[in-house]
Amino acid sequence: MRRTNGELILFWTLPAAAIIWISAFFLFPGFIPPMSPTMSANQVAEFYRDPQNLPRIRYSMILFNWFCVCLIPILMLIVMQMRRMALRTPILAYCMLACAAGGPVIFLLADLFWLLAAFRPERAPELTQMFNDLAWVTFTVQVPYLIMQSLLIALAIYWDRQPHKVFKPWVAYFNLAIAAALAPAAFTGLALHGVMAWDGLLPFWVKNIAIGLWIIVMGLVLGQAIRHQRAEEPV
Amino acid sequence: MNGRRELWFAWWTTVVFYQLFGVVFFVLTRTQPPPDPGWDASRVAQWFHDHHFGLLVGFGIMFLITGMTAPQNALIAYSMRRMSVSRAFGYSYLVLYSLSAIPGMLLMCIVLTVGAMRPDRDPELTSWLYDFAFLSFVGTMGVFLIGSLVWMLAILIDKNGVFPKWFGYLNLCNALTEVVVSPAWIFKHGVLAWNGLIAWWIDMVVFGIYTGVFLMQLRKMIQREDFGDGPLPDSAPDQESVPSTMASSAS
Repeated sequence: MRRTNGELILFWTLPAAAIIWISAFFLFPGFIPPMSPTMSANQVAEFYRDPQNLPRIRYSMILFNWFCVCLIPILMLIVMQMRRMALRTPILAYCMLACAAGGPVIFLLADLFWLLAAFRPERAPELTQMFNDLAWVTFTVQVPYLIMQSLLIALAIYWDRQPHKVFKPWVAYFNLAIAAALAPAAFTGLALHGVMAWDGLLPFWVKNIAIGLWIIVMGLVLGQAIRHQRAEEPV
Repeated sequence: MNGRRELWFAWWTTVVFYQLFGVVFFVLTRTQPPPDPGWDASRVAQWFHDHHFGLLVGFGIMFLITGMTAPQNALIAYSMRRMSVSRAFGYSYLVLYSLSAIPGMLLMCIVLTVGAMRPDRDPELTSWLYDFAFLSFVGTMGVFLIGSLVWMLAILIDKNGVFPKWFGYLNLCNALTEVVVSPAWIFKHGVLAWNGLIAWWIDMVVFGIYTGVFLMQLRKMIQREDFGDGPLPDSAPDQESVPSTMASSAS
């Protein structure tokens, strides 16, 4: 019987975390539909003061606070697969480590701003609106490390010239497409209305669906790569 | 397999990042040199009004490209991996500098974006956002301080000759700028304020020189790299890997 190295345990935390993320996403009343940046300070304050909303805001954001960092062990499993690629130096793996330290923390900051807004909803509406703005802008522009991660994975796959590549070439193109889909969200500050606003088509729907899709697809190919690795290297 | 191209990827990404960083902070957003910490709320609101599009476009670019700091931190961590010192040095630097980007830069970009996108906000709140932004940017000190000292110590005790020892002491100069800037948390006017002669101008000149020098030093390291673990050769081992790939791509 082979020894456990724990990678499969880390891997199977992904579906569990994904279920929690999806539940928290639908639990937060500000996501379906996304809150508009054109709401007045009074409307934003009403949203937080509504007894229907307040517990759901707090519980969903506490869930995200606990579990948004669950992506880090999965990113580390991707780093472990990058170390199996035909690369001469650990530079790309180091780059992934650097991105993993940044990405989830930005989401954590947004989470803190939402929880702060919900902590004292009786505060002056302008203050609640400011915390709500900080939360939404931070949440929407959290793309820089996610973009870089996707580009790094694509580059690593391109440079992985060996008969049995760790990830198939289509995974590289998939990651490039995800990077492109995430890019417009960076410029959400420019618009309070329309497709570029933080509740608009590109920064909200396209970005968040791209993140969800990336997690599902990378989860599947990662699981496959770990299975191949275990078949090739019996302990 | 050409390992050098992996290092050049990280080096060129760093060079391009600093070009874009300069354009965004000095030209588009006009946040460097920084505006005055002594302004009253209405003057601050006026500043946001005057720089509305520059701030939103410029920081949009930063949200797009901040990931480019990862290859820089990776390459510097790699330089310590190539030294005779423990791997703990490179890993420390990687973690310190990777987390530094969030309080030390991204927070400012986020907060000034929030300030700029709602010009009708109460000027008192806008003024609080202004303080938050500039103080988090100049006032995030420890990660850069300790990070530079880790790199300095690694260079000074390294036996593989990856960098000249004087460059180790230049790291100390960079670390000291993080000490010198600390009064910016206290003073609103004069040389020690966040836009002052000492806290900004001298620090920026040192940081500029430091950045230029470390880019050149990393470039030299990549040229000399032989992918061994002993002393780094003085000159580039050109005949090894570069011409063979160039020949094969040319044919």
